[in-house]
Amino acid sequence: MSGLAWGALYGLAAGLVIAIAALIGVWGERKVAGRIQMRIGPQELGPFGLLQTLADTLKLVLKEDITPAAADVRIFRIAPLIVFAPIAMSFVIIPYASGFAPLDTSVGILFFMAVPAISVIGVLLAGWSSRNTYATIGGLRAAAQMISYELPRTLSILPFVLLAGSMRPLDIMDEWRWWWIPLTFIAFIVYFISSIAEVNRGPFDLPEAESELVAGYFADYSGIRWAIFMMAEYGGMVAAALFGAVFWFGGYLHLPGALGVIMLIAVATLLAVAMIWVKWTFPRMRPDQLMGTAWKVLTPMALLQLVIVGVVIPWL
Amino acid sequence: MAVTHGKGAVPRHDQVGAPVRTPHAVPVTVNVTDDFPGGARGFFARWRSLLTGLGITGRRALGPVSTLRYPHEKYTLSPRWRGALRLRGVLGLDDIPIIRDAPPEYNAGIDELHRADRLPPCVGNCPANVDARGQGYYLGEGKPAEAYELVRERNILPGVLGRICHHPCETACRRNYYDEPVAIRPLHRHAYEEYAKVASERLTPFERTRGQRIAIIGSGPSGLTAAYDLMKLGYSVSVYEKEKKPGGALYSGVPSYRLPREVLHDEIDNLVTLGMELKLGVEVGKDVPIDYLIGEYDAVLIAVGLQESRIIPVPGHTAEGVMGALPFLRDANWKGDAGVSGKRLLVIGGGNVAVDVARCALRTGAAEVRLACLEGDDEMPCHPWEIEEALDEGVIAMCSLGPEEVLVDEDGKVRGMRMKECLSVFDAAGRFSPQFGEETTDVELDVIVFSVGQGPVLADVVAGSDLTLTERGLLPVDGTLFTTHHPGVFACGEIVTGPGSAIASIATGHEAATSVHRYLEGRDLAEGRVARPVPVYEKYQVADVKGVEANRRRVVMPMAKPEERATDFRQVELGLTHLEALNEAARCLRCQSEVCVGCTFCARTCPDYAIEVERTDDPGERRVTHYDLDLSKCCFCGLCAEQCPTDALTHTGQYELSFFHRDFTIFDRHEMVRDGGGTRATGRDGVHEDSPGVTQ
Repeated sequence: MSGLAWGALYGLAAGLVIAIAALIGVWGERKVAGRIQMRIGPQELGPFGLLQTLADTLKLVLKEDITPAAADVRIFRIAPLIVFAPIAMSFVIIPYASGFAPLDTSVGILFFMAVPAISVIGVLLAGWSSRNTYATIGGLRAAAQMISYELPRTLSILPFVLLAGSMRPLDIMDEWRWWWIPLTFIAFIVYFISSIAEVNRGPFDLPEAESELVAGYFADYSGIRWAIFMMAEYGGMVAAALFGAVFWFGGYLHLPGALGVIMLIAVATLLAVAMIWVKWTFPRMRPDQLMGTAWKVLTPMALLQLVIVGVVIPWL
Repeated sequence: MAVTHGKGAVPRHDQVGAPVRTPHAVPVTVNVTDDFPGGARGFFARWRSLLTGLGITGRRALGPVSTLRYPHEKYTLSPRWRGALRLRGVLGLDDIPIIRDAPPEYNAGIDELHRADRLPPCVGNCPANVDARGQGYYLGEGKPAEAYELVRERNILPGVLGRICHHPCETACRRNYYDEPVAIRPLHRHAYEEYAKVASERLTPFERTRGQRIAIIGSGPSGLTAAYDLMKLGYSVSVYEKEKKPGGALYSGVPSYRLPREVLHDEIDNLVTLGMELKLGVEVGKDVPIDYLIGEYDAVLIAVGLQESRIIPVPGHTAEGVMGALPFLRDANWKGDAGVSGKRLLVIGGGNVAVDVARCALRTGAAEVRLACLEGDDEMPCHPWEIEEALDEGVIAMCSLGPEEVLVDEDGKVRGMRMKECLSVFDAAGRFSPQFGEETTDVELDVIVFSVGQGPVLADVVAGSDLTLTERGLLPVDGTLFTTHHPGVFACGEIVTGPGSAIASIATGHEAATSVHRYLEGRDLAEGRVARPVPVYEKYQVADVKGVEANRRRVVMPMAKPEERATDFRQVELGLTHLEALNEAARCLRCQSEVCVGCTFCARTCPDYAIEVERTDDPGERRVTHYDLDLSKCCFCGLCAEQCPTDALTHTGQYELSFFHRDFTIFDRHEMVRDGGGTRATGRDGVHEDSPGVTQ
């Protein structure tokens, strides 16, 4: 019973964190994109336009929740939650502070790799249940893309398991040394790129390519259900940024308590800004370039990194 | 099986049954072109390209935000947000260009402006290219004396022309399109009235820097213009006038209810103050032979104008009571009495002079004034406002009637006129070829005034010199250089152009002065001379002014009441007040100046209400305070810039339809990662940091 209560609490907390992160993330994205495009971005509602996203959220919540007549209603309605829930779950294994992770488990890394991947099913279901050609193509594209990029992403995390000799995130944090940063730099690049592809953000946003697929797998969604998809995207981005900050940049850097948490959030914010930066810099890729990047560039790079780490380990 | 590819033969693939499809009809491999080489070099080149892109956007994001800020603006908007449209200049920050060049180069300057599409229509349509835009600007800024001096550069008698000109400028005025034209002519008059108060301080005689002397015969508008230009160049100029008062046709032809004589004399006095020598009552050819002038002076300019009225040789035209328009007007103007008191009078002709005659006849006491012309009432050659004023005063117009015979009584006096119906005036090719019908009308009257054309009287003027006239009494003159066949003798005015307007005469005066100047300097007369560009301006439909705000309407010139004014020679138009003139000057759109005056017509044109313009309207302090485009409403129709009268509003490279070539809509990668600075199509990206109006 107490385990269920704790789980519910963690779920609520994760949902809240994602909601706030999405709120700030959308504002930040618009600001950064604005600056990149010589604009200013939101500026009228609240200081620096901070309240703009809040107003947008209110609008989204109040909007009509439309279900297409031809849709498979039950799957259509539940699909956003299937996308969102696994991403919310991935937040629980992240070691936020020294010696604290909401879910302290010896298979933490496996959990982080495996659980968010479930959202692929939600994406597929969303596209399929809409009974809409665009949505279906978007869903299939998303599935192909997300599954393809699982591989380099998983391979890019393996060096830490090798270095620390454990899959428990807190163990890895205890073992973490500063020279892991240069040592695992190639893995970081692989992880960064494949994370962007995992959350379907530009330049890997083929599943939701507006110009070709209207909005891809969520073309028929509106109101709060659409917002849940967007929250899942931002949640995935934040999770990826937190995870990257923890392993590649030492997370709380052995700092105690709240100081460590602030450090972690600062580094993760920088990574999230970098993702936004990438999105607003590069044009969308073609499908053949997308697959080619995953299989012909990132996977060999991740393997190369494994070899390097494997060669280094005996000297440790 | 043999396959033939002869005429009409089709390649056959089928032998039996269904046709065989060619395999690989659709290419399976996409031919992807990539600029990067293969191998390690390509690998690094790719990564360098990615990093370059990140570097560009990163620098842009961290760099300063360049924003456009207009006066009193609440929010700062980045140029890209406003980037689809751009103002080249804003009133209050940028100056209106003033067209002011020395006379010989003036035409070249006008021509240059015309080629660059920077010629305001009022200036382009004026024969003398008076800078009416600059006048509006100076008046609007509260500098009437500067406005007067600017106008005087080209139109040497602004006070006179401000009353009598037929204002082609107002015809071409772009405000015709929106509501009503700017009252340019009344503004000339207002500028003169303001200038007259300070004239004594501002008039300084021109210095005589050159020794040569020039004689000008005739003190009409063209002669005075040439005199002014030549004095300005430093020559000493003597003007010979045969009458006791100067002004030529302005004095003897234009009735004083349109042009008070004090104004004319005042403006000519100003010219005398500037250094002109005026010899009144000296008739060249009678008192002084022209040979004497040719010998005494370095150059002679003949500007005597037209002095003889044509009379149609219908039966009875020699009867007592038949006269020409010019003698009639001369009597009316000089004596104030043309001998028609209490008589019934008929004016033959439909031009402006005919209307002048009719109105003068009323003022000299004629009992009944009729005006007969060949044309119908909607195609009379005179200006519509002239005939309208005449009709108000009681002139009876008889249209579509041609003279047949003068009815003469036994004493040889005019008894009446037999008129025949005129069916059409012009033939299919547009030539003058009146067709008359059978029906005739008899009119009882005492005096007939023919106002059907004028001719020069030159025989006396050129007598004794080697200048010869044609059989029709005309002096052969080069139409562009204004030279005669005697070197050093020039001619200008209506003896060259034929009957026309005062301002057209003035234009010839400028050109003749240029020729005289070049002749005296020993330069080639024709070298580099640019003909005045004659742009064709569309004839405007009368705009619908219903519902137009009062402050957009043209000022109404106050007029004396018809029943009062028809009895004497007092001025009909009463003039504008100072405030009226300021408002009217502010109505001027400063066309083609590339400076936004906040006319708001872009906002009115916009179908989506995406444009917001605000300006302050205090007289003499008209400023644009706010200009904003809401791109979320903009539909990229382009109407705003299309209609912009000043050409200040332009589309930038970011305007969706600004790509003028289809190829330019396709970007390659380098195009997209290129540093800011715009698109290939226009080479510029809206507003740059270094452009005016941008603050960082």
